[in-house]
Amino acid sequence: MTTNGGSEPVFCTIVPPHILNTLARHEDPAVSGPAQHTLLLDAENRTRRSLAAEYGLRAAPAVRAPSDQPLRTIYDAEHRTALPGTKVRAEGSEPGRDASVNRAYAGLGATFDLYLKAYQRHSIDGDGLPLDATVHYDEGYNNAFWDGKQMVFGDGDGEIFVDFTHSIDVIGHELTHGVTQHTANLTYYGQPGALNESMSDVFGSLIKQYSLGQTAAEADWLIGAGLLAPSVSGTALRSMKSPGSAYDDDVLGKDPQPATMDGYVRTGRDNGGVHINSGIPNHAFYIVATTLGGNAWERAGQIWYDVLTGGELKEKAFFDDFAQLTVATAKERYGDGEELQAVLKAWERVGVPITPRARL
Amino acid sequence: MRIQVRRTGGFAGIERCAEVDTSGRPDAAEWHALADQAVAAGGSAPPAGVPDGFRYEITVDGKTVYCADPRLTEEQRKLISRVLKEGA
Repeated sequence: MTTNGGSEPVFCTIVPPHILNTLARHEDPAVSGPAQHTLLLDAENRTRRSLAAEYGLRAAPAVRAPSDQPLRTIYDAEHRTALPGTKVRAEGSEPGRDASVNRAYAGLGATFDLYLKAYQRHSIDGDGLPLDATVHYDEGYNNAFWDGKQMVFGDGDGEIFVDFTHSIDVIGHELTHGVTQHTANLTYYGQPGALNESMSDVFGSLIKQYSLGQTAAEADWLIGAGLLAPSVSGTALRSMKSPGSAYDDDVLGKDPQPATMDGYVRTGRDNGGVHINSGIPNHAFYIVATTLGGNAWERAGQIWYDVLTGGELKEKAFFDDFAQLTVATAKERYGDGEELQAVLKAWERVGVPITPRARL
Repeated sequence: MRIQVRRTGGFAGIERCAEVDTSGRPDAAEWHALADQAVAAGGSAPPAGVPDGFRYEITVDGKTVYCADPRLTEEQRKLISRVLKEGA
């Protein structure tokens, strides 16, 4: 097990953060406003979120019930890095000539659909949050990320990666970071960080399966299939079915994901190996889904969704905390049946103990 | 001047490292100016960053600073891009 020694946010302003904190609480909005603004700008993502909650800066909840239709906007960064960029497609408008824009728009829609139809969740915050995405970020940029408010997609360099909008599970993955941020808010470091990553892979894969109408047996259980350029030896970036097998390439190296706790990687890099150790809870989900059969988003997905959004999962949860909650949820929702047995078997197979662990 | 860049994280979680030694290079002065500005704007500890965002360690003559996407200065972005492209 790693220790959860999260990194400290870095403030880049001249005014020390404790002074800004005091100013931000000031009665006079002329004083508190700019200080809050500076704090919001300068704090890193998590800090920005907690401050926003503390100072009540979040948008007031809509009075009316949220819509069953998404509210999508796609922006084009035009190969620069200013966000969000130029607005190029709004909700309801026809597809344009830019395939990246159209793929992002469709992927946002597919993500909205799964959350609404399978889990009755209205958008990523459960309250109809507009879905924004920027394509063509930077030049040859080999990444996609969630910046706390929107999704950002690079075009890939064409040598290792192609355009990140090509993979619908990547779009679902990024938006699920938003769902996690608005629910359990798992700390993005160490085991809670790997759980955060795993939630995004699980629901990213489910979004792909739901949109293709695939059962657990039919699904490829790959993350980022179709993202690797033709010259790279590999099928995808991660495999939930067989973690560690997604790629093995001269330039990229070998997929480092473990499937079980025996292979747990202790590292400070990549926020404590969040993209490495996510293979363990990923594989547990795969076992539950394929043991139960049928549509993975139904019973397996429902149990995972309940735990993620149920309010009991702590920000600094470890794998066994999460496992324990999936067991309790399976029992609560489905009784002492095959769902519970599948969940117990899955955690046993990946080596995560499901008995409560005493913690100092 | 030895300029090293290590990039970790990202959606793929694939690490990349590269180094440029500016000694004897005709454009050494340009590299030094860029490196100085990039380091001056860096943090002494890794920032929390954003989910799937790249994290960077920039080491210039033994001194390491940290930064993360999407909050890079122009100089940091330029230096990182050049080192990863041209470095060994």
